[in-house]
Amino acid sequence: MKTFKFTESLKMSLRSITSNKIRSFLTALGVMIGVAAVITLVALGNGSQKAVETSLQSLGSNLLIVYSGQPKGPSLVRRNTTNIAPALSKDDLEFIKSLPESMVLHAAPESSASGQVKYGNTNTGATVVGTDTGYAAIRNFHPIYGSFFTQSDIDARKPVAVIGSQVYKDLFDSGFDPLGQKIRINGIGFKVIGIMEEKGSSSTDTQVFIPISTFQKYISGSSKYALINIQAANLETMRELQKFIEDELLHMHRIASMDAADFYIANQLDLLSTMEGVAGTFTLLLASIAAISLIVGGIGIMNIMLVAVTERTREIGIRMSLGAKSKDILSQFLTEAIILSVGGGLIGIFIGISAAYGANRFGGMASVISVQSILLAFGFAVITGLFFGGYPAYQASKLDPIEALRYE
Amino acid sequence: MIKIKNLSRYYQMGPTTVKAIDDIDLSIGGGEFVSIIGPSGSGKSTLMNIIGCLDSPTSGTYTLAGEETAALSKDMLAEIRNRHIGFVFQNFNLLPRESAVENVELPLIYAGVPVKERRQRALEILKRVDLEGREFHLPNELSGGQRQRVAIARALAVNPKILLADEPTGALDTKTGAQIMDLFRELQSEGVTLIMVTHDRDVAAQGKRIVEIRDGHILTDVPAEEWEK
Repeated sequence: MKTFKFTESLKMSLRSITSNKIRSFLTALGVMIGVAAVITLVALGNGSQKAVETSLQSLGSNLLIVYSGQPKGPSLVRRNTTNIAPALSKDDLEFIKSLPESMVLHAAPESSASGQVKYGNTNTGATVVGTDTGYAAIRNFHPIYGSFFTQSDIDARKPVAVIGSQVYKDLFDSGFDPLGQKIRINGIGFKVIGIMEEKGSSSTDTQVFIPISTFQKYISGSSKYALINIQAANLETMRELQKFIEDELLHMHRIASMDAADFYIANQLDLLSTMEGVAGTFTLLLASIAAISLIVGGIGIMNIMLVAVTERTREIGIRMSLGAKSKDILSQFLTEAIILSVGGGLIGIFIGISAAYGANRFGGMASVISVQSILLAFGFAVITGLFFGGYPAYQASKLDPIEALRYE
Repeated sequence: MIKIKNLSRYYQMGPTTVKAIDDIDLSIGGGEFVSIIGPSGSGKSTLMNIIGCLDSPTSGTYTLAGEETAALSKDMLAEIRNRHIGFVFQNFNLLPRESAVENVELPLIYAGVPVKERRQRALEILKRVDLEGREFHLPNELSGGQRQRVAIARALAVNPKILLADEPTGALDTKTGAQIMDLFRELQSEGVTLIMVTHDRDVAAQGKRIVEIRDGHILTDVPAEEWEK
């Protein structure tokens, strides 16, 4: 006599689930939505985190940026640098360049403006960036074809331009060799000498690089720089370097403290940790919202199971009179709850992955589906079923057979 | 088969103690057909629940097939119900969503009988109670008499030693009731011990031995032919 087998519970549960399909579906729907929400939202959170990291890494390594003006807003990184009024002088740049290699590897000034770039009858919008030869090394951003301008181009204020990959695509037919072609930037003729590699970020790939001296002469008309890019010699002493440069520039600008300064320095380390922190919090927030919906789904299961136990009190009594033990009844109802949660969970995984994929494919949102979130959500769904189905099943198993048989 | 000694079952209803059964002695041998009769509230249902191992006595002993039941756990009682006792209820107590044959299979499921054997046995027993051709009907597609026969088949499925019937003809018309009683007599002749609880004196008279209960005590315990209706 023999043990009551799990397959029997499974059969009974399936029968009861299929005998009330709409109710079963609605019950499982809570878990479905919960699991799908966890997977999709975590994928979107991870995606945005990844996007932030990629964009920060594309800035270059060990990067300090001296900006003109006061810091604006909570973000240390300035996506749009074309509206910064240049306030950094050649002296500032010379000072930074004069620092020993043990402190600063490269420094490059940068000013930018938005401009119209024209080739023949084709034209496109671009960010025109004036800089010097150190820029490519600092930002780890090099021409894929042709070459960057040289010091002699800068000294001679030559009208030469290295165009971003997107600018190339916008202006030229694919495969066309643009080297030596004349383009017009804001009406001024430039000779194309190179194409930059593709970084995959629209703001980066729509830039056109020209010598800083040329930029100052033809575009800004100012001898100042909007910002100075610095590549620190090593990561560990970046904060000390930042402080040192701050102090020296304050002194040179005759300003008492950073509160009143006409510049500020952004540190890539700070940027990274701030952005990662923000993205991490964001992911956590999304995951918690999703987890709450899973719990709500679990309560739905519990609710329905409690109703089912009450409705089927007489059935339970009959089964007990025929020899069902407490654990047989427990197993029957628990199996039912678990089938609902596991079934809901599996469908939820499918929906979640589809939604995350769809958001990426059709919504243009970055999403990274993580196996962990799938396992976590599914595991949580099963535990939800066990936990929230456990109580009603326990109630059922503890019914007094005489009372249960009498139940109308 | 059944030995009951000094058996009592009290219920606590607030401050008062209700003596549903008070110090009863009763022995029933294998193959007997006993009618337990009494008005409602007499304690007959309580006695039947205890004989059926659905309830446990407050004091006294109940020995079923040599096994003292007072000391047994709930699960052990469930096993005894499964193995030794078949219940037939007034309102049949069939599971409405299961077909006749599936209802008959229920006790076999809990007895751990494999699927194939289970189905085969259930079909044989349904044939035995003249329900051939109705095996796959749902209870609500069957008449009252047919439903009660499904219930009897279910009670017989594990070959129990005792068939406990609680007002088995209460929901049936006289003619079908008589058919059920005929079936009981047949079963008894095959060696099944039959215990029937009823408040109907005519029905009770169909038994071979009559035990009359009043206020928790046994009033009379006589062979049917000596019983004064």
